Amino acid sequence: MTASNDELREPVRSFTFPRHTLVSLLVFCVFWEVLSHLAPTLGIPPFAIPSLLKIAKSIATITWIDIVVTLARVIGALIASFVLGLALAMAMYRSESLEKYVYPIIRLFMAVPVVSWILFAVLWFPGVEFRIGFVLVVVCGPVFLVDTLDAMRSVPRELRHMMQSFRPTSLQFFIKLMLPAIVPTIFTSWKVNISLAIRVVTIAELVGAVTGIGHQLSVAQELFSVADVFAWTIVLVALLFMMEAIVSRVEHRLLRWRA
Amino acid sequence: MTAIVKNGPPPIEVRGLRKLFWQATTGQAVVAIDRLDLTIAPKEIIAIVGQTGCGKSTFFDMMIGLEPPTEGTLRIGDKSPHGDFDYFRGKIATVFQQDRLLPWRSALDNAKLPLELIGLPEAEQRERAMTWLKRLGLGNFINAYPHELSGGMRQRVAIARAFVVQPDILLADEAFGHLDEVTAAELRETFLALARECGSTAILITHQLEEAIGVGDRVVVFGKSAKLLADIRVAAWPKEKYAVLREAIQFTLQNNAADPRLAQD
Repeated sequence: MTASNDELREPVRSFTFPRHTLVSLLVFCVFWEVLSHLAPTLGIPPFAIPSLLKIAKSIATITWIDIVVTLARVIGALIASFVLGLALAMAMYRSESLEKYVYPIIRLFMAVPVVSWILFAVLWFPGVEFRIGFVLVVVCGPVFLVDTLDAMRSVPRELRHMMQSFRPTSLQFFIKLMLPAIVPTIFTSWKVNISLAIRVVTIAELVGAVTGIGHQLSVAQELFSVADVFAWTIVLVALLFMMEAIVSRVEHRLLRWRA
Repeated sequence: MTAIVKNGPPPIEVRGLRKLFWQATTGQAVVAIDRLDLTIAPKEIIAIVGQTGCGKSTFFDMMIGLEPPTEGTLRIGDKSPHGDFDYFRGKIATVFQQDRLLPWRSALDNAKLPLELIGLPEAEQRERAMTWLKRLGLGNFINAYPHELSGGMRQRVAIARAFVVQPDILLADEAFGHLDEVTAAELRETFLALARECGSTAILITHQLEEAIGVGDRVVVFGKSAKLLADIRVAAWPKEKYAVLREAIQFTLQNNAADPRLAQD
């Protein structure tokens, strides 16, 4: 017989110091600092590669409201995209004819470049927030839809058969089988979309927005403040890593059943 | 614990049952079941044997209501498992060849799945599922996930999941075929003892003659293409003649025609 219940549980993972990450970041910082000092001798204008100190000073002057606004736009749009994508994927899973009509449109949407969506949004909608939300949803929504639809189709036939043999209602079938079965894909999709949304929101905010990180990047560019550009970029990257870490943590917790 | 009210299993009547499938590529009909007549009395334990492709699994799917008949009738009492789909919720339970446990659910949560579907209160679900897991020797493993259990233990959870609703009809599709001989024999004994105790009608689909003769009150032999070759009352055969019975069934399966020796039944 196998070990009993309590013996089977993996010990709770303790925090592991990210030694390799820190070492590689440190090496990169040293390389950057050296490059910043050598820039004039290499024929690069000194302002193009600001020193770490200058970037740090810029970070210190960063306005939190822009970070919060961008974050709120990203999270709001991701939630809306997820709900829409999941709802449509469920409907398409249930109706083959709906899928046949809708899928080509989704593929078409996915093929349209982000810049084109931004231009369409500027031309079609007067409100800045709606424009940004529209662009994010139209870019991220199809990714959620396609991923979840594929995941639903990949649920093993044996499990669907087993579930049906116990005669669930349609809602029970979805809640007890399909939804838990696609959770791993949902997490992967969220991680992909967080990265996508952070990049898209920045471009969307560059056009027309008067708040947010994208707008601040635009201002920094107009003022030729390369240190500020780097500072905002670092904030964006940190934001991305932080959101991914949160999703990974929730994923680890919810998917602890995986071998 | 609230009792699940049962009136005892109704008889199963199969009359002129046909099932055709149409091949997508050629558009031609394939006969999966051909004019099957069969009556299964309440609380009877029968084994269905047949070679691969003889329609056993199609019959299984029709019994659980996932496939409608093309012609003829399949009635459980006065209801149809396909037409009265919701009526049979909690009344028919299945054990499959592979355990088919949901990997994200613990043993306990897997075992109580059918109870969730019939909407019993949560506390009762837990109590009932725990009782069955304990009866099947899994009392120390209720919180283990399927990947943490051995094949035999997973199949025990699958058996607990089937019995937890105290079903009128139990269906087992090659349920012990993938296990080693010792584990399979042990689980088969447990399964049969529990089926008799619950007063369920049990239908075991198998390709193993030893298993079929050993477990059933009756052995029904399906031939190709999908027809009833023999319906044998095992009790009518003395144990010392089991070897002859086995040979006769083997002959029937190989020749796709009933062995004359089975006529003594």
